[in-house]
Amino acid sequence: MIKTRVKKILVAITAAAAMGAASTSYAEEPIRIGGIYILSGSAATYGEFAQKGINLAVDEINASGGILGRQVEMVYEDSQGKASVAIQAARKLVYSEGVDALVGLDSSGVAQGMVPTMPELQKPLIITHAATPDVTGKLCNAFTYRISVNVAQNMKAAALVAEKLDATNWTTIGPDYAFGHQSWEFFGNYLKELKPDVNLMSETNFPRFGAEDFTPFIDRVMDSDADGVLISVWGGDLVNFIRQANNRGFFEKDYELLFTVGAATEVLSALGDEMPEGVHLSTRYWYDAYDNDVNAHFVKAYVDAYDVPPSYNAEGAYAAIYAYKKAMEAAGTTDASAVAKALSGMSMEAPNGTITFRKGDNQAMVSPNWGISGPMNSKYGIRTLTDLQIFDGEDVARSIEETGCNL
Amino acid sequence: MSGIGSALLNSLDIGLLLFIIAVGLNIVFGVLNIINFAHGALYMLGAYLAFTLINIVGMPFWAALLLAPLGVAILAVLIDRFLLRYIYSRDIADSLLLTFALLLIINESVRMIWGSGIQVVQPPQLLAGSMDIMGSSIPTYSLFVIVMGLALLAGLWFLFNRTRIGRIMRAAALDRDMAEVLCINTRLVVTGVFAFGAWLAAVGGVIAAPMRALDPGMGDKIIIESFIVVVIGGLGSFPGALLGAIILGLIHGFGGRYFPEVNMLLPFLGMALVLLFKPNGIMGKGAAA
Repeated sequence: MIKTRVKKILVAITAAAAMGAASTSYAEEPIRIGGIYILSGSAATYGEFAQKGINLAVDEINASGGILGRQVEMVYEDSQGKASVAIQAARKLVYSEGVDALVGLDSSGVAQGMVPTMPELQKPLIITHAATPDVTGKLCNAFTYRISVNVAQNMKAAALVAEKLDATNWTTIGPDYAFGHQSWEFFGNYLKELKPDVNLMSETNFPRFGAEDFTPFIDRVMDSDADGVLISVWGGDLVNFIRQANNRGFFEKDYELLFTVGAATEVLSALGDEMPEGVHLSTRYWYDAYDNDVNAHFVKAYVDAYDVPPSYNAEGAYAAIYAYKKAMEAAGTTDASAVAKALSGMSMEAPNGTITFRKGDNQAMVSPNWGISGPMNSKYGIRTLTDLQIFDGEDVARSIEETGCNL
Repeated sequence: MSGIGSALLNSLDIGLLLFIIAVGLNIVFGVLNIINFAHGALYMLGAYLAFTLINIVGMPFWAALLLAPLGVAILAVLIDRFLLRYIYSRDIADSLLLTFALLLIINESVRMIWGSGIQVVQPPQLLAGSMDIMGSSIPTYSLFVIVMGLALLAGLWFLFNRTRIGRIMRAAALDRDMAEVLCINTRLVVTGVFAFGAWLAAVGGVIAAPMRALDPGMGDKIIIESFIVVVIGGLGSFPGALLGAIILGLIHGFGGRYFPEVNMLLPFLGMALVLLFKPNGIMGKGAAA
């Protein structure tokens, strides 16, 4: 499907170029942005959300005159959730599709593999989902930016939530790759700093990503002395986890539970009222958390178009296109180095408030959201979030020195 | 003790679900000499059809358990008539390519028809909730999966050992030309066996639907597990599918609980050990099988 779309676009461009060679100037060719997301397999829903957010932004921008007077055109490639595929996709987008900029990346593993190749590609990349701290840390480079919340920011917020809870013996259940391990590592370090008497248990649980049956790990936690559990299982795995934990009576015990990606709308709508009430849920963006014009407009437009509230992944992708608009207009060109330079230190109004790409590590100062699962929202069939906390982006960010980024 | 007991029941429910799926793969290989890469995709189709019948049409679970596998079996007849029949006489690599193409087509079709979102099917009222067994809370549905697995096991054993159809299938598996000489319509047997394998995959999908979230990658996940089962148990072997499935179930059930640090490694370690000492699987016949 994607290929045919790309082909159609190519044909259209060739035709347009042939017909208009004499009369159209180069500047009126569309600006092309390449999107690399998971578009097949188990996590395809994340790529689809990103596309929905992007399409909304592109339609809005094109309807109001485009960027630098040029229309915006997207070209998508499927990362399949694999770093090697994403690297190939990026090369294809840059070298044969001739895109001016890139957005994307749904997985920490993909981001860790692809980001080091960005200086070779010489095009700016705004990461809209992948959360590993490394890509705006020790792997950072002048072409890589991130508009979404990273693990370090969210785990600082999680530690601030956990600090106020009674639990003293903490363990984790998380996917067995960068995301699960780094979530636990950052959470543990921050919590220990805030509350030195907590015990970070050495018995941790890292089931395979896509494991489907989490019962053995749930049983293991229930047999242990843990009274606090950080759960970074996400997506379809989280849906399976919650249902199996319900079966085991896990939520009837008095654990303090922190779900680091628990308030993802796709998970909440799959689970409905099977998501228990009274557990701590986080998301990188909660549609109901921000009282500003951009958010009001974004949520309304998204609900009008797709009948569901926007997920965090749609928001990040939507905002990234507007970030390019602002940076390209500030630079007055689509030249990659100039756009990258304009992004660095740039502030913009996004659905989640005023955000700034910090000079030094290119990480946007964005606010993690934490809340407690509340009564059902009957309109959307998902749990509401009560006691919502919007952490200040600057407060939860690491210092530049701590990131290990040296730009 | 309750820990071990609940881990055992958990292993059995994982293992017997895998058995239902892997045995279909094995029967198709045994009779048709085809490794059906699309077997996992047929399992997924079974689950999504059940989702449609239960959540959208509003049928009870039991109706879906009857109808969805039937639908998938009909599709399998069409696949056999219009695609597979042309490659039965060819090298096994051709069937690998063809069924892999089918897998991609079915995966993409599922994503286009049902979307990429995560879907959930509720167990029937009768099987909802948990029971207290030996001090731990066991989902009633897990017990149902175990009962279904054992019932299918008994049914298959009866089919192969005590019925004429079963004997014909075994004859066709042993020597198709000889069977033809004996006036067995092997074309019909071949179609029937492929449809039966698909039916088993879809039964597995319907049974899995209330306990596992549905997404367009669920077929890929199960086919990898099923291949591990047949490698451990022995390709083409009926008891091998059972043994392999139970072993893999135990690896998952106990591995995650007692050896969590190496839980990802264990299934492959088990597979490597079997390949090292019994290259054709524990119950596998010689290379000619």
